[in-house]
Amino acid sequence: MTYSSSLSVNRQSYTKRNQNAVSFRSREKVLGPVSNTIILVVLACLLGLLYLTQVVKTQSYGNKVFALQQQQSQLQNQHQNLEVSSAQLQSLDRVQNSPVSKSLASVTPSTTINN
Amino acid sequence: MNMNNSNKSFNLKAIRNINLIFIFLMFIIGFFVIRLFYIQVIRYSYYKQSALNDQLVQSKIPATRGLIEAHYGNQIIPIVLNQELFTVYADPSLVKNVNNMADKLVGVLGGSKSKIVTLANTKNTRYVVLAKKISQSQSDKILGFHIPGLGTIGQDYRVYPQGDLVSQTLGFVGDNSKGSYGLEQSMNSQLSGKPGYLKAITDINGVPLAASKNNINISPVNGKNIVLTIDVAIQKQLQEIIQNAAQSEKSPLISAVIMDPNSGAIKAIANYPTYNPSDYSSVTNQNIFTNAAVSNSIEPGSTLKVFTASAALNQGVIKQNTTYYDPSHWLIDGFNITNIEEDGGSGIKSVEDVLNLSLNTGATWMLMQMGGGQINLKAREAWYNYMTNHFRFGKITGLDQGYESGGIVPKPDIPFQSGDQQNLAYANTTFGQGLSVSALQMDSALSSVINGGTYYKPYLVDGTTDSQGNIAYNKPTIVNRDVVNAGTTKSIIALMQQVVFKHYQSGFTYLNFPSNYIVGGKTGTAQVPDPKGGYTDNIFNGTYIGFVGGNKPQYAIAIFVTTPTVSGYAGSYGAQPIFGNIVHMLINESYVSPIGN
Repeated sequence: MTYSSSLSVNRQSYTKRNQNAVSFRSREKVLGPVSNTIILVVLACLLGLLYLTQVVKTQSYGNKVFALQQQQSQLQNQHQNLEVSSAQLQSLDRVQNSPVSKSLASVTPSTTINN
Repeated sequence: MNMNNSNKSFNLKAIRNINLIFIFLMFIIGFFVIRLFYIQVIRYSYYKQSALNDQLVQSKIPATRGLIEAHYGNQIIPIVLNQELFTVYADPSLVKNVNNMADKLVGVLGGSKSKIVTLANTKNTRYVVLAKKISQSQSDKILGFHIPGLGTIGQDYRVYPQGDLVSQTLGFVGDNSKGSYGLEQSMNSQLSGKPGYLKAITDINGVPLAASKNNINISPVNGKNIVLTIDVAIQKQLQEIIQNAAQSEKSPLISAVIMDPNSGAIKAIANYPTYNPSDYSSVTNQNIFTNAAVSNSIEPGSTLKVFTASAALNQGVIKQNTTYYDPSHWLIDGFNITNIEEDGGSGIKSVEDVLNLSLNTGATWMLMQMGGGQINLKAREAWYNYMTNHFRFGKITGLDQGYESGGIVPKPDIPFQSGDQQNLAYANTTFGQGLSVSALQMDSALSSVINGGTYYKPYLVDGTTDSQGNIAYNKPTIVNRDVVNAGTTKSIIALMQQVVFKHYQSGFTYLNFPSNYIVGGKTGTAQVPDPKGGYTDNIFNGTYIGFVGGNKPQYAIAIFVTTPTVSGYAGSYGAQPIFGNIVHMLINESYVSPIGN
């Protein structure tokens, strides 16, 4: 193929005789390796950010759970202490030695001996 | 031309400088690369472990020990609880101002400043305990001082709101969290539960990282709460009764058991002296830790005649109204078996007399009837069978207690000790010498005789409670349904009632009980073995077995009094008054349903 014929072949596909036209051949845009790398890095960062967000969110729930467990433990201790206090306040020795008990009149049955 | 040369020289110099910087940078980078390779690859294991030491928490999560509860009338009340108390510790190497720390601690805890100062100045240690069992609020105050090297650590302790109530039956829990003696020991695995496990990577505050995939968190299984058969009010009064008796009779040891004969449930079990389990470390005599009513076997003396009579009646070799000629002594294997002087000498005696007058010769006569009129192998084997298989002497009952004694019963065909005369040894057992039993065994055997012939395994644990407080009750365990027949039960109840009534008539006025209750009993005064051989002449143990009820016996009672100092027989003057007090207590406080109800 000569230069002229090749030129005519090329022109042939875009123009016709006496046609006013502007060559507007669209050039295919392709991302280069740098752009690809940057995009991949940005995507990786976004994914990392997403992961971190989720981890931090999970951990914040973990902190809340831990705080609630601590609170539960404290309340259980308080409950335990109250149970102990209640049992001690109702103990037979305490009741027996209380001022109210001591002020009661003795009604020991006459048939009971004190050995 | 000169300019060109100088430019060229400058460029070469610059290139050389750049190369030098490049080499230097490469050297630095190389250094870091090598260093990182060393740290991350070669020392990987070391640094990983080091990091885990800071971040990884691995610990057992202790299970909460089960509570112990007991009956109080219709209620169930706790008698053993848990409470978190704190231990104050210091690291002497970190405490800078010991005096200041001691002042602050004394302000919260009281006590001696000099003791704290001495402890805090201990050399060659990084952990000294300054105080134990302090409360949560005291711990908070101490931690509020923010003194470097001073801290507190929490631990669950057992708390006993009823003091020394039923202490020897409960046992205690030591600093190692293991139960010692009593129920705490025998039921340690059920009470202690199963600890949990935590393995987690934590942040700087010690909070487990929720996103760590290797975290392990196994929750502990708490111990079971148990409900005892013990009635707190009866127990409390029983303890007071035996304490008063021990002090007035100067007895070194008194044991008593009150049992429901129709189920084997123990309503009260006590010994004196006793101790407070919350202060067990101050006890110097470790014998006090054991439940003597279960672990202490002694020769019971004449209380055993109740069982001799039961065996003879049940075999049909005697009847309740049988009479016989009592020569007031029997010559057996060359030894004389006699009675006490007050028993009136030889003459016609009845089965009732054997128990009322506590005739040793009468009990021996019953053994003779088991052998067809004489003590022989047949008699010994028959009596041995009743002692061991019917009344279960010589065997442990299996109560939930440590160190239970099964006692000793001599074999019918093999001398217990070389030189022993078998017939004499067996004659002695009919009146409670030459064998040993515990108060618990006596009460269990008595229960089986007076309840129609069913031997129930005695038990202390009535049931277990779930987390909602619902109680799953245990059923009584029947060991033997044919201890004696109904006729024997009827006869023995009547004979034992007669014993109490005759003793009342003979001057023991405190044995006067309302007529709408049935009360029966039998005393025992036993010689005490001499460590040098034979028996001592002037030291005796007193025992008593008896019952109280309405339409049927509702409480079986056994009392052992060790070497009381009383004027008179140890059984009648040492143990019998305790029985009287117990029965009056049970009747007066409406624990017994009278006849007709």
